[in-house]
Amino acid sequence: MANIAAKRIKREFKEIMKSEEVIGGSIKLGLVNENWTELKGEIAGPVDTPYEGGTFLLEIKVPETYPFNPPKIRFLTKIWHPNVSSVTGAICLDILKDQWAAALTLRTVLLSLQALLSAGEPNDPQDAVVAKQFRENPRLFTMTARHWTNVYAGGPNIVHECNSKVQRMLDMGIDEHQARVALSSYDWDLERATEQLFG
Amino acid sequence: MGFEIKRFQGDVDEELICPICSGVLEDPLQAPACEHAFCRACITEWISRQPTCPVDRQTVTASQLRPVPRILRNLLSRLCTSCDNAPHGCNAILKLDSLPNHLVECEFNPKRPIPCEAGCGLVIPKDELAQHNCVRELRALIATQQGKLNDYQQELAEQRLVINEHKRELALLKEFMRAMRVSNPTMRALADQMEREEVVRWANSLARARVTRWGGMISTPDDVLQVMMIKRSLSESGCPPHIIDDLMENCHERRWPPGLSSLETRQNNRRLYEKYVCKRVPGKQAVLVLHCDNTHVDEHMMVEPGLVMIFAHGIE
Repeated sequence: MANIAAKRIKREFKEIMKSEEVIGGSIKLGLVNENWTELKGEIAGPVDTPYEGGTFLLEIKVPETYPFNPPKIRFLTKIWHPNVSSVTGAICLDILKDQWAAALTLRTVLLSLQALLSAGEPNDPQDAVVAKQFRENPRLFTMTARHWTNVYAGGPNIVHECNSKVQRMLDMGIDEHQARVALSSYDWDLERATEQLFG
Repeated sequence: MGFEIKRFQGDVDEELICPICSGVLEDPLQAPACEHAFCRACITEWISRQPTCPVDRQTVTASQLRPVPRILRNLLSRLCTSCDNAPHGCNAILKLDSLPNHLVECEFNPKRPIPCEAGCGLVIPKDELAQHNCVRELRALIATQQGKLNDYQQELAEQRLVINEHKRELALLKEFMRAMRVSNPTMRALADQMEREEVVRWANSLARARVTRWGGMISTPDDVLQVMMIKRSLSESGCPPHIIDDLMENCHERRWPPGLSSLETRQNNRRLYEKYVCKRVPGKQAVLVLHCDNTHVDEHMMVEPGLVMIFAHGIE
């Protein structure tokens, strides 16, 4: 089986390098080790979403039983999205779980992840806090996602409101990422975020 | 699992690629409704995990898989591929459908069995020939066979022990039966029955004999020389002990039935001899004419438990 996995990944790698998405720069794929069991993916944040302009790194682990089992993928770049854990980067996407099919490829998976960034699915969340904000306060959600994209994924859109609130907590001696998570989780309510961290 | 695509000459059409292993379809099967085709090994493995088509996720079970259409098979069989043994030096380029036959004969197959020409006569895979050492191989063979031989010898000794044990028990039982028979009429009948069956079993174990020269019959044999030798032979052939003495008595014309008891009657009844069912006394020019084999013969030609006829020659 391991033989099939390596053979398929090699061929997929070759195919994906010729694909228009790679040529157009919207997805990338790179090798991590010699034996094709781990790869590094990269997807561009889709246009007209809070993720626009960001570059999101993915860890791709190919199981020995590939393609009979799906590749294990998680976000290495921190992202604010209802279907991605803001803590671990774990992804909730059906095709990476029970809806996996052996004919799917790394290319189709990366494109599906890109589509997931365009259309979050809050009813099947990976991160309950994000999903709640997505449903109940779409304006704040978009702002938070854009801010995270700017800070972690190299997105061009600076969100000054967020930056100044994070800075205020930094001044209190709080770790930057911790501050950002707390503020994001409490809808940028400085008082509640601080209370949570010190309480 | 499909064939490595690099082995093929020119481009291979996408339709001939297995979506699971991404090799060229090997022994392909297709899903019934959507007609997506896969290598047999690949789709079987997938369906064992999930009963769906790997391309479109329609429900498919193993029993619904069908052979692919002839046109697809023809396209596949026309593809030109290098031999599996190309890394070992085979330069052959073959149509995919003639590959299996070629592989059987391919001289570059590193595992092709070759007889050792140095004299040991063993057949060994070609790639092991270089390291092959007749003496070492044969020594190993001797060692394993010696081991087996020892096992068998041990088993034989054990079996002998068991048989002796059984023989002893049997002798005891017979003794017991004999003692019981005297006192109990049912036992007597039972014992008689068992004895009769023992005789029949013994009779069936003996080879049929044919007398070619009835004139060679010795009707008054020498007790010591001939009769003792016959007795030993009978005893070794498994003759039941309760009839052996009677049989030995019946070697001589003085104990033969009326139809055989004198030269004159013997000459008169000569044509009846052919009716006898004769059994060979192993290793001797003599036959047994047992009563149990010859129930069809007239009473004046037969006695219980049977006759022994010794001949000068003419037994087959």
